[in-house]
Amino acid sequence: MKVNEVPQDITYYEGEKRACYALNEQGKYVIVTSAGWSAEEVVNGMAVAELAAHLEKTRKEVLAGLKSPLYYHMEQRQMTPAILAKTAGICRLRLRRHFKAPVFARLSAAVLERYARALALTIDELKKVPEKSSGEKDTK
Amino acid sequence: MELTAGGRPFVHQHSAHCESGVTAALFRDQGFNISEALVFGIGSGIFFGHLFFVKMVGLPITTFRGLPGSVFRKAGKRLGAKFIVKTYRNPQKGMAELRQLLREGKIVGLTTNIYWLSYFPNRFRFQFNGHNLIALREIEGGFRVSDPVLEHPVDCLTDDLERARFAHGPLEPHGRLYYPSQIPPNPDIKKACIKGMKDTCNMMLRTGIPIFGVSGIRFLAKKIKKSPQKLGFNEACRHLGNIVRMQEEIGTGGAGFRFMYAAFLQEAGELFLSDELKRLSQDMTAVGDKWREFAVVSARIIKQRDEKEETFAKAGDILLACAAREEALFKDLSKIVRKLKA
Repeated sequence: MKVNEVPQDITYYEGEKRACYALNEQGKYVIVTSAGWSAEEVVNGMAVAELAAHLEKTRKEVLAGLKSPLYYHMEQRQMTPAILAKTAGICRLRLRRHFKAPVFARLSAAVLERYARALALTIDELKKVPEKSSGEKDTK
Repeated sequence: MELTAGGRPFVHQHSAHCESGVTAALFRDQGFNISEALVFGIGSGIFFGHLFFVKMVGLPITTFRGLPGSVFRKAGKRLGAKFIVKTYRNPQKGMAELRQLLREGKIVGLTTNIYWLSYFPNRFRFQFNGHNLIALREIEGGFRVSDPVLEHPVDCLTDDLERARFAHGPLEPHGRLYYPSQIPPNPDIKKACIKGMKDTCNMMLRTGIPIFGVSGIRFLAKKIKKSPQKLGFNEACRHLGNIVRMQEEIGTGGAGFRFMYAAFLQEAGELFLSDELKRLSQDMTAVGDKWREFAVVSARIIKQRDEKEETFAKAGDILLACAAREEALFKDLSKIVRKLKA
């Protein structure tokens, strides 16, 4: 890759730039900043869209009472049940029960507090899911 | 220009890869001037592996680098530097010791989970526990950090950093921090380069395990060719997209580290005054360009622009070409390395 071939397609770096190695005119390697590459945008876009679609499906399931909000917030943080269980310090089998809406509704404040801290949310946030679908996922 | 707590100046350098960037910066801070590419080569950073049995979000992992932490460990050892590496069970203790070290005027390397570092653009953030950065000093409500993947030093909130250092999941960092305790005044760079190159040749050519090195690339190429029949078009696209993501996203310097390794070969060529190494650097650049071609073709397949021309078979063929070139290159390199004198 030569310096003038370093991709400068404006994509999704939100103003950040990445370092790329490229050859300058003297044939020497230098670090050049890149504003993003459209080929990369395609694959990243696919992954992000997939996550968003999944999250949206979960959100609807939670509103329909099929899953607990806990499940939504776990997915929103891109966690797996294993990671959440360990972060909250709660056994995985117990966590699995808490994905059921009726069980979750009966949880004590102490347990909720542990989940809230693990997910960096307040207890109120943890108990709800957004009513409307959010376009870009909102992160902390 | 940044200052550490001890008032020493710190020069932030934008790097392609977090781990080699942090290691090089720690060396430079001790007065030993070394480039990121040199650290990457000495630490045998380049690799290939297709771990079909390890899955992230349901997709198999393809890696273009050694295990997280190996560049730091190998480069440190080969240059004869001593590092103090610590992990903690208790987050409070881990944060307190970080503060203490910073007050002493040290700069400290940290292993973190990239999801919790909110200064990154949203689309870069995913649960990955192997991101490295340097803490420079404590500021109000957080820390000043030099993240080598970013262009400039940034502020990081205390809460963010604590979560990132003590995140759970695969490859848990346990608040890992590291700083140099002793760096020899004149490390033998040439000897370290030879060791690094030999190790790389072995890992790329002679592991004897079909999912690693050059044979790993061939394994993946064959798998890609068969994937539309085996998985269906959509699922095959997901798999292909994931490979390209790992090749191009965050900190590869382009084309799955191939360009960075070419930069290393070039620098080594000047060091040893070897035209052969310089020629290999050019070959490596050509391989990197081939990898980029693979990314372009893959992106077109996924976009389904010209379904007839750009097929999975074509993408697979490009990878086979990459494998053939890399095999020739590393075989050449292992011959040349034997002739080099430290």
